[in-house]
Amino acid sequence: MGSTVPGGYAGKILRVDLSTERIWTEELTPEVCRTYVGGAGLGAKILWEEVPPEVGWDHPDNRLIMATGPFAGLPIWGTGGLTVVTRGAMTNGATNTQANGFFGANLKHSGYDAIVIQGRASRWVYLYIYDDTVELRDATPLLGKDTWETQQALEQLLHLSGHQLSVYSSGVAGENQVRFAAIAGDYGHVASKNGCGAVMGNKRLKAVAIVRGTKGLRVADPRGLMLAAEEIADDLKYDPSTRSLYEYGTLPGVMNLLRLGALPIKNYTTNVAPPGVDLDKWTAPGLRNGFPHRGYQCNACGMHHCHTQVLPAGPHQGELVDEPEYEGWSAGWAMGCTDPVAVAWLNTQIDRACVDVNEFGWLAGWVMECQEKGYITKEQLGGLELRWGDVEAANRLLQMIIRREGFGDLLAEGVKRAAERLGGPAAECAIYTLVGNTPRGHDHRARWEELLDTCTGSSGTLDSGPPVRHTEWGLPARFSTFDPEAVARVVGVTRGRRHFEDSLGACIFTTRTYMATLCRALNAVTGWDFTKEEAMRCGRRTAALLRAFNVRCGITPDLERPSKRYGSVPVDGPAKGQDISKHWEHMLDVWYETVGYDRRTGKPLPATLRELGLEHLIPALWGSEEAAHARR
Amino acid sequence: MKVLRITPDRCTGCMRCELACSYMQTGTFQPAKSVIRVSPFEAYASYAPYTCPQCAEAWCLTACPVEAITVSPVGAKVVLDDVCVGCKLCTIACPYGTIFYNAETGKAFKCNLCDGQPACAEACPTQAIEYVEAETHDWLGAFAAERAARHLTTLASA
Repeated sequence: MGSTVPGGYAGKILRVDLSTERIWTEELTPEVCRTYVGGAGLGAKILWEEVPPEVGWDHPDNRLIMATGPFAGLPIWGTGGLTVVTRGAMTNGATNTQANGFFGANLKHSGYDAIVIQGRASRWVYLYIYDDTVELRDATPLLGKDTWETQQALEQLLHLSGHQLSVYSSGVAGENQVRFAAIAGDYGHVASKNGCGAVMGNKRLKAVAIVRGTKGLRVADPRGLMLAAEEIADDLKYDPSTRSLYEYGTLPGVMNLLRLGALPIKNYTTNVAPPGVDLDKWTAPGLRNGFPHRGYQCNACGMHHCHTQVLPAGPHQGELVDEPEYEGWSAGWAMGCTDPVAVAWLNTQIDRACVDVNEFGWLAGWVMECQEKGYITKEQLGGLELRWGDVEAANRLLQMIIRREGFGDLLAEGVKRAAERLGGPAAECAIYTLVGNTPRGHDHRARWEELLDTCTGSSGTLDSGPPVRHTEWGLPARFSTFDPEAVARVVGVTRGRRHFEDSLGACIFTTRTYMATLCRALNAVTGWDFTKEEAMRCGRRTAALLRAFNVRCGITPDLERPSKRYGSVPVDGPAKGQDISKHWEHMLDVWYETVGYDRRTGKPLPATLRELGLEHLIPALWGSEEAAHARR
Repeated sequence: MKVLRITPDRCTGCMRCELACSYMQTGTFQPAKSVIRVSPFEAYASYAPYTCPQCAEAWCLTACPVEAITVSPVGAKVVLDDVCVGCKLCTIACPYGTIFYNAETGKAFKCNLCDGQPACAEACPTQAIEYVEAETHDWLGAFAAERAARHLTTLASA
């Protein structure tokens, strides 16, 4: 098995056609491994080759790709996750979204690097994987269950517990093809972006259940791997830029972003904490120690990041929940809720319902503002009153959405479509990009690099993320978030790093080390001689493939802009008066030039495609235009 | 004598010990062949690792009819592959379930303390597993009893 593939790879892609219920495997070649690595890269390649423009997100021929990478299932920290690549429901374009947990480790130990799912089942099924036993099984008893209940039901049915079984499903939201349905599993890990759960639901696939396989993973240089793993771990533990992440995960984000004016409060209507909020509760130690908690880490991970916690007070006292990430806490603030216990409860309801926490935060905050201002009435909401900070009402709204009941049916289409349908002053309060997605849980009006990144992203979310070790690429260590030129250059130059990280089968929080260090680990695993330049080229190749896919789907540069509210000027707080709209066109100019894409059509330029080894895309993307472009 | 001291409260269930152990056992990362095993408690909410405590009165050693189990220089009870006949009596005798049978080789296998440098202890990021001078002990007993009781109470009241 897989004897020709480099170390770290299982060597096989598992193929599933739900329409015919046919299951087969495909060998992974060493060339594909080296060119695309895995995860996002492998997914982008398959998406480009197998999903033509006429196959929309809800077409049976759409592919749902759940891929790992060479690090998954090895003792490098945080290597159990999966990357989901598909044509997603929010943008009807490319999706590249990650979840952690144990899916990737279990899959690799069963002998597969990725699962590619196509077709649509004639009955609700779940995919069962244990080594060479791969079956589509009846999922009727699982219908109506949330993500946690689905996992619990399968644990009981299969007599397995803990990490012996990894289950990823898309909840009731997926069953009803809510546009921003996610894919979630292992009690708190979510691949949340671009409606990948709606694709899963559209395929009538309730869940993927992977038993921890019994197969061994060989690596080229085990001692080198352990040394590189320790080096990465030491970097995370001791480097000042990652130390707080190591100690507290993403919890410090709340207070840090509040200080910058980048914590979104009450649907972008303010950036100042309301008077009387006990901010001590919102510090990282406050959020961690305010709850009885226990570490609950992903495969081989030594970060003090993921935790389970117990609600210490309130109407749900004693309930076990997943400690929210920064994004979960910030969704609470976007709805005007400043009680950590209430937000922690709501966050787990969102995970269980299985929708993107960001999209739901923007949606609920928007409905709250609109109801306060009379743009959406109580009657429209079927008698529901949604006041700022009321998480119980927000949860009722969530339940309406995932069942598509009443007004929930419109809201299930996401912020952009609901706002455009309502029009008028309500639409002007809504936060989204014109491509169709919403931002991560920040106020990007005080974080211009992420506003630009979110609007130009080709994955249904931001593509590059906050710059990590960007001095490796000759960029200045510090730059002002309000310097349009510097911001556009940084976002452009760092484009590709995140795509490479997402191809490794590791968590982006545990790859926050130098690219050179990641390459040392990759080379020890595979026996290759990757340099950081080759790694960056590999990431840029994936980014260009996803971009090309979107262009082919008809997503054009005129859609790459924020909605009115998303691109507005903050009225108070540290970023008061900062106006990105004045600089927007110039920022796009600089960004396009830096990444080597065509400003007019959005296409990666022929020269860029050649440089990335993607010349085979040129006829499809440029056709006869190529010669014309060369003359321009 | 140095032993593997296990502090179950520190375990976060990351399974890194199993990966490291299986590499020492098989030369590949294959947790199914690990001789340290992480178990879930309270459904999935807490985890703890367990391996052979190297008991002074080793029932596996006593039960073995062909004297294939012996004591290594570092004090580990080890299986001599060329003597073991694969009868599995040791796996039945062990009160902790920490000696296993490998169907591929037809032999019993268990923790040998990696000849004095246990990979699991080196791999554990939270020091839930440490290799220290101590009296050996049933490290998991109290933890498991308490967790199991809590889980059963929850079930009874549900």
